[in-house]
Amino acid sequence: MALIERLQRRASDWGLLPRLLQLLPRLAIISGIIGFAWLAVYLPLEGEFRRTYISENALMPSQAYSYFRETEWNLLRGYRTQVKDLVNKHSDERNGILGSWLEEIGVKTAIHHDPENRDTLYGVWNAPRGDGTEAMVLAAPWFNGDGEFNIGGVALATALTRFFSRWPLWSKNIIVVFSEDTRASLSSWCHAYHNNLDLTGGSIESAVVLDYPGTNDYFKYVEIFYAGLNGELPNLDLVNVAVHVTEHEGMKVSLNGAPESEIGEDDYPGRMQKMLLGIRKMALAGVQTCYGNEAFSGYRIQSIVLRARGKEGPFDITTFGRVPEAVFRSVNNLLEKFHQSFFFYLLLAPRYFVSIASYLPAAVAYSAAFILASLDNFLKSNKHLPMGANAAFRISLNTATTFVGSFLASFFISQVFLQWQKPLALVLASGLLSLIPLFPTDIKLSLAQSHQLKSIAFSYLSVVLTSLLVVNFALAFGIGLLAFPMIFLANTVSPRTGIKNTALLVLTNPFICSCLFANIFESQLPNLEIISRLISAWKELGCWTWFLICIGWLPAWITVAISSLPAVFGQSVVDKTKPLDVDTDADADIKKLQ
Amino acid sequence: MNLREAQVVIACVASRFGASTVFPILQHQLDKSVEFSTPVTSYRSLQEGVFLLRNDFPLYSGGVVHHAPLLVALMSAFNNENMVSLLYACADALVAYQLIAMARSFNNSSLPSWVPGALYVINPLVLLSSVSKSSIVFSNLAISTALLTALQGNWVCSAVSIAVASYLSLYPLTLLVPLLALLRDHKLKTVSTTAVTLVTLLLSSYKINDGSWNYLFSTYGVIITFSKIIPNLGLWWYFFVELFEMFIPFFKAVFNLFVVSCIIPFSLRFHKQPFYAFVLCLCWITLTKSYPTLGDGGFLLSFIPFFKPLYGYFRYSVISALLFIHVTVLSPIFYHLWVDLGSGNSNFFYAISLVYALGLATVLVDLVWAMLRIEYDKGKPNLNLKLTPI
Repeated sequence: MALIERLQRRASDWGLLPRLLQLLPRLAIISGIIGFAWLAVYLPLEGEFRRTYISENALMPSQAYSYFRETEWNLLRGYRTQVKDLVNKHSDERNGILGSWLEEIGVKTAIHHDPENRDTLYGVWNAPRGDGTEAMVLAAPWFNGDGEFNIGGVALATALTRFFSRWPLWSKNIIVVFSEDTRASLSSWCHAYHNNLDLTGGSIESAVVLDYPGTNDYFKYVEIFYAGLNGELPNLDLVNVAVHVTEHEGMKVSLNGAPESEIGEDDYPGRMQKMLLGIRKMALAGVQTCYGNEAFSGYRIQSIVLRARGKEGPFDITTFGRVPEAVFRSVNNLLEKFHQSFFFYLLLAPRYFVSIASYLPAAVAYSAAFILASLDNFLKSNKHLPMGANAAFRISLNTATTFVGSFLASFFISQVFLQWQKPLALVLASGLLSLIPLFPTDIKLSLAQSHQLKSIAFSYLSVVLTSLLVVNFALAFGIGLLAFPMIFLANTVSPRTGIKNTALLVLTNPFICSCLFANIFESQLPNLEIISRLISAWKELGCWTWFLICIGWLPAWITVAISSLPAVFGQSVVDKTKPLDVDTDADADIKKLQ
Repeated sequence: MNLREAQVVIACVASRFGASTVFPILQHQLDKSVEFSTPVTSYRSLQEGVFLLRNDFPLYSGGVVHHAPLLVALMSAFNNENMVSLLYACADALVAYQLIAMARSFNNSSLPSWVPGALYVINPLVLLSSVSKSSIVFSNLAISTALLTALQGNWVCSAVSIAVASYLSLYPLTLLVPLLALLRDHKLKTVSTTAVTLVTLLLSSYKINDGSWNYLFSTYGVIITFSKIIPNLGLWWYFFVELFEMFIPFFKAVFNLFVVSCIIPFSLRFHKQPFYAFVLCLCWITLTKSYPTLGDGGFLLSFIPFFKPLYGYFRYSVISALLFIHVTVLSPIFYHLWVDLGSGNSNFFYAISLVYALGLATVLVDLVWAMLRIEYDKGKPNLNLKLTPI
């Protein structure tokens, strides 16, 4: 205790607290810079990440010999030839024919009818050695995420089902799903499976989506996608098993669609790039092209997508089939659920990861930056607060109503644009609102008011980021990073600051900013595409990103925009001449209390 | 009651009643959330009790109902859901009114008497707790009645109210100690009145419960022995989930001792500021009780405005505020991660309940420090003098 006392005395001798309070704006900026540097610069350093390992011993990937080999080759090719003929058929006909094949194999089939998102054929094969309470899903959408007909995937899923059904070792039911696409119809099936389907096979533990478009026998490498909706990730063990099995078969693995040329790059920039790619993929899951694993989010299902890439190469389609085979055998070994604490990770390469404790500080730093900026503005507004309880109360009331107003307006916008999809109008309106600092209006804000508005906006944003930290790290980090320039906003006291503020407001507007971001980094989302994708992601998949942006980020932005209305300078000078008489009534009160 | 005060009370009834009738789904959602509902305060189990009572089933043999028999009997008198909502709204409004009356009894010049009431009305924790129809509302009402009547010197009423509060949720019985400090005389009579009221209540419960004493364990036994281990914002559950079987009885005793441990010290040390000692004890119980809800926390925070003269001495007010904000936002999220998504585990939620405890502790420490400082400064705030608080 004595040590703490001494430290505290020393700190107050040095005037540490006042100095720190003066440094707040700089601390906020430093905190934001640390946040980015921590993630992008520090984590990919040698020694800061770990090699992946299988945490659950029961999984034992590639410990058993895989049998999906030459014996299945002709069957697979036969199915593929037949599936190729179905390309131009109507979905009812396709499902009917495929369903009859599955019935022949001995799989119970049913069709989930959904007039809005089209029908999905699925079959349940009951495990010979299980109690039927758990299941593994093998999914092959008819059309993959890029809209190509998934000939190889569908043929492989059928051949694998036939192959699996001859084995007596399964302890979990196997469900094969043939949905029309990877987005709405697969997610509609998944929703229906957990609500109202008659034919079910127990709780789904894992899902593997196969994506092999075309009729080519050979392919070059395997892509694995794992980022689920709303920040969910599959258990790292499942990803590890898939990577392990694929590499065991000799194939190269690329995560999150990283280009082939970058596979195997084990250097600092390569790791950094892949990690940032993974974070972008997580933040924009559901908004970018979906390959199918997103549809299983929200039901405690660990899901991944396996994609065969390249038309030519050393590996044939049965080699690809051995990957789901081995993954299924691993998952089949599980006696309990997947291990805890393996749900939060970032992958820097197929075999390198950082876990939550290492990467979380990056997003915490942004949350801290905003809270520091908020504190700074709060103190500044107190400094400029006019004397007299009434005036101060009026300012606080104005702040509160403005904030509540912007919140309601943001909520309204989120609902209206859900129905009335005009991204251009949204962006134009945002741009127009960004001109606020330049408005030649008679309304002049007092400095106290302006600081108080900023204070409440930043603290709100900080709370939003904190609440997203664990749920959706990538989005919290992304919003923190993109909204960060807001803290540079100064009071608009001259035309020059007005122009600077307008630029900052344009840059940090949620819609303009996300469009800019998408245009620079995401070639799939040109122009204003990202806004309509955000909306469709909510409608088709139930992805919250649209609401998080509208209700989490927009209210703070609107409040900050209002705070940068031209401000009156000089009120504080008048205030300072008044004597400080805070304690006079307090004295009397204390006597009464005692 | 002037116009402003009347407005506050009406706003209280309107907001509670309006929220319950316009969004009936809100009540179900809140009642399912662990932050606002515990086995001993949940409205669902109260309704179950009402059903059992109406159909002449034994109330407590099913192990679902943990409410006091008289409360169940009272609720069974209401058939209409809207009437029940109105009852809760009125109970809450009465608390708001009592806070106003307390402020008036201090004749505080710097604090208009309607302010504590208004803060109580807009406090989201209290609002949501009331909308969730948690029976904690009635305990809070009884506690605030006891406090107000003690301030007014009405010892009979005060003794009866604290007996009712303890009858409803047991731990308020310890608040009798600071209450005695508040009542300058008639101390013995107060204690005996409390005892007589409590015995009467228990005997009539015995009558209502078909002549069986089994309600004692289901209501008070559950609170003391924490036999329903369900996650909540308190400090108990995680400990007893993890503990080896043979240590459990000992630590249950320790935890219960912990609840009562600080009551007498607070009351003795601050016997010259009995109102303040009462609030400290309330804070202590909120911090250490076995089944706390955010409703308790909200009720406690409503007493902070009375200490406005001490505000200058508060050192953690920003930290406490941030802690409470983060707890209310993060606890449902972490619970969701643990129970719904399965990606988090119980440590996530327990971490948040620790943060909540820390928030309450900072409030407690701040209050104690502020009062000690003002004693040191002989009642005249001297904010320029810096002292090390160790």
